[in-house]
Amino acid sequence: MNLHTIGVVIKREYSTRVKKKGFLVTTLLVPIIMVVCLAALIFMVTNVKEKTKVIGVVDESGIVMEYLTSSDIIRYEDFSNQNADSLKANMSMFGLDGVLCLGPIDENRSVSANFTSAKPVGMTVTENMSRRIDDAIENYRIRSYNIEGLETIINDIKSNVRLNTYTLDGSGKEKISESGVNSMLSMVLGIIIFLFITMFGSMVMSAVIEEKTSRVVEVLISSVKATELMFGKIIGVALVALTQFLLWIVLSVVLIGGVMSFMGPKLLSTVDAQAIVATMPADASQLDMMTQVLSQSDSELGAVVGTLSGLNIASILIYFVVFFALGYLLYASLFAAIGSAVENEGDSNQLQLPVTVPLMIAYFIALYAFNAPDSSVAVWGSLIPFTSPIVMLARIPFGVPLWQIALSIVLLLLTAAGCAWVSAKIYKVGVLMYGKKTTFKDLWKWLKQK
Amino acid sequence: MSVIEIKNVSKSFGEKVALDNVSLEIPEGRIFGLLGPNGAGKTTLIRIINRITIPSAGQVFFQGRPITQRDVEKIGYMPEERGLYRKMKVGEQAMYLAQLKGMSAAKAQAELKDWFVRFGIQDWWNKKVEELSKGMAQKLQFITTVVHKPKLLILDEPFSGFDPVNADLIRKEILRLKDEGASIILSTHNMESVEELCDSIALINKSHLVITGEVNQIRRDYGNNNVELVYADAEGIHTEVLPYEENGTTALEACIARGARVISYRELMPRMNDIFIKLVKGE
Repeated sequence: MNLHTIGVVIKREYSTRVKKKGFLVTTLLVPIIMVVCLAALIFMVTNVKEKTKVIGVVDESGIVMEYLTSSDIIRYEDFSNQNADSLKANMSMFGLDGVLCLGPIDENRSVSANFTSAKPVGMTVTENMSRRIDDAIENYRIRSYNIEGLETIINDIKSNVRLNTYTLDGSGKEKISESGVNSMLSMVLGIIIFLFITMFGSMVMSAVIEEKTSRVVEVLISSVKATELMFGKIIGVALVALTQFLLWIVLSVVLIGGVMSFMGPKLLSTVDAQAIVATMPADASQLDMMTQVLSQSDSELGAVVGTLSGLNIASILIYFVVFFALGYLLYASLFAAIGSAVENEGDSNQLQLPVTVPLMIAYFIALYAFNAPDSSVAVWGSLIPFTSPIVMLARIPFGVPLWQIALSIVLLLLTAAGCAWVSAKIYKVGVLMYGKKTTFKDLWKWLKQK
Repeated sequence: MSVIEIKNVSKSFGEKVALDNVSLEIPEGRIFGLLGPNGAGKTTLIRIINRITIPSAGQVFFQGRPITQRDVEKIGYMPEERGLYRKMKVGEQAMYLAQLKGMSAAKAQAELKDWFVRFGIQDWWNKKVEELSKGMAQKLQFITTVVHKPKLLILDEPFSGFDPVNADLIRKEILRLKDEGASIILSTHNMESVEELCDSIALINKSHLVITGEVNQIRRDYGNNNVELVYADAEGIHTEVLPYEENGTTALEACIARGARVISYRELMPRMNDIFIKLVKGE
């Protein structure tokens, strides 16, 4: 073991990558794009609200109009003396966004309600209308019983209990929790660690292939041991990954802080959760989750913030670094072994399969884990070393028993060390092999070679 | 004293035997030719000396002690298949390789600048390797091989890829390094450069050592022990091939006594090329 030469290798691997334009661009752009998207979303949502919808009402029942109180989202105008059809035909002339036609009170003591608009309106508008119509009808029915004071009684009975959810932490203390926040964090962590391991693992592979193709590797290993070269490379690239991760965190914090102070408290008070959800082009499951997180009025925003602050961000970051480091060591060394066996990237596809398949499986289990963090698939996935770094990270926001984390880390550490050892043996032989295409049988032979 | 001593070294890759019980000594401060047809096991032997490959059996001694990983810092190796990082800058590349040989950054920088000046390539420092021509890259490769002042220099086909002018530059540098005390292993198929540069050689064929020794001795041994006498007399210029006399020069003296003018009298040594072919074909 020659620390000087390993140090020289690490330094080169690190500095050539960090100095590359691509690194700078990704490091700067990713947080900026994320924040810009977020800001754009918030901007859109807040602006959508500012444009008040004007709705003309033709109320034949005579009881609903008084309940249609205008707000800054919707302004109701009474057109009950107008003909509904001509009103619909001349909406723009009256400056209306839509026409609400309410029929007379029928035998069920209800009304028919039809809304017509030139352009589709959001959920906020339709829900506002139907809620108010319901109020009107309910009150009409209450009054029709002719019982004195019934209205007061009913209002008194009406209940609006908010269910606050808590989870017990180890010390028996209650934490306020909002499973939507956990789910989102779980998904984000799972995806990020998957991307990091895949991206930087294949970066190691490309670097090995480059050295082999350019034939510089023979010169290198006449100065530094092959295994030292391999680990120098793996460590160097890992430092690049951690640098990028750190810069992303710092930049995100700075940017989000900037945006918050720019958009101000308005952001928190006026964002309509429903509107955010409605503007999101997301698939069903995501929408579901988003709704969980966002479809709450102000008191529940408190729960979201409470959940976020309840999570120990520092410990999540530490777990991220630990599981990334070990998972990356495992996969990067396998990628290095594969790289050593081929002469160009194209030939690597077939040999890569046994490495990329477990990664994909891990990714899918992680995506499953954010819905069911304690299902047996997720638990086993977070213990079995090839999937554990990704699945465990996806489970951590929900809280994982310490013994499982410890077991997972120990198993992962042992497996990563084993993979590194096996890979080093293959690498040592592989980097000097040129000519015929390598098969799995060759790799096995190299492994046994002394 | 020998810089490298190889004792009963064997190496096999699975079934394939690359070297079979090879023993030889590489003398210090000389140029040693490592010869053999393609696939004979030369590269394997070089890699064993470099500690790139670990022998299956046998031992390698460096300056009298069993060789260790630290000793590779005192070796400079230029493989036949040259290689540099294409995307790296020339200066950074050279600095990297020099530091891998244990040099400090400051020392590497100073020595490299000297070499760049000597080879007239100072303005390449910030160029990328991929911008260099093949010959230019070869020069850079040579510099990176010798910059750390290796005790032992292993050059595999050092002249390939060079034009005659640059080949001559390299030849002079090799001789200068030898004068400065470096021991040099020269692996080449170019028998003329063996005759010109090498003090001793080893010939490997089919994983076995066929012969090792001083170049002149080997040429003498494989010659027909003849001398060539060229003289001029009244009838013109004559060339005679005569048997070599162990204790004297009777033929020459007789010629002078006859009144002929001697133009040359020299030992007839076979070309290395012929010896190589003869030994490899097993004649």
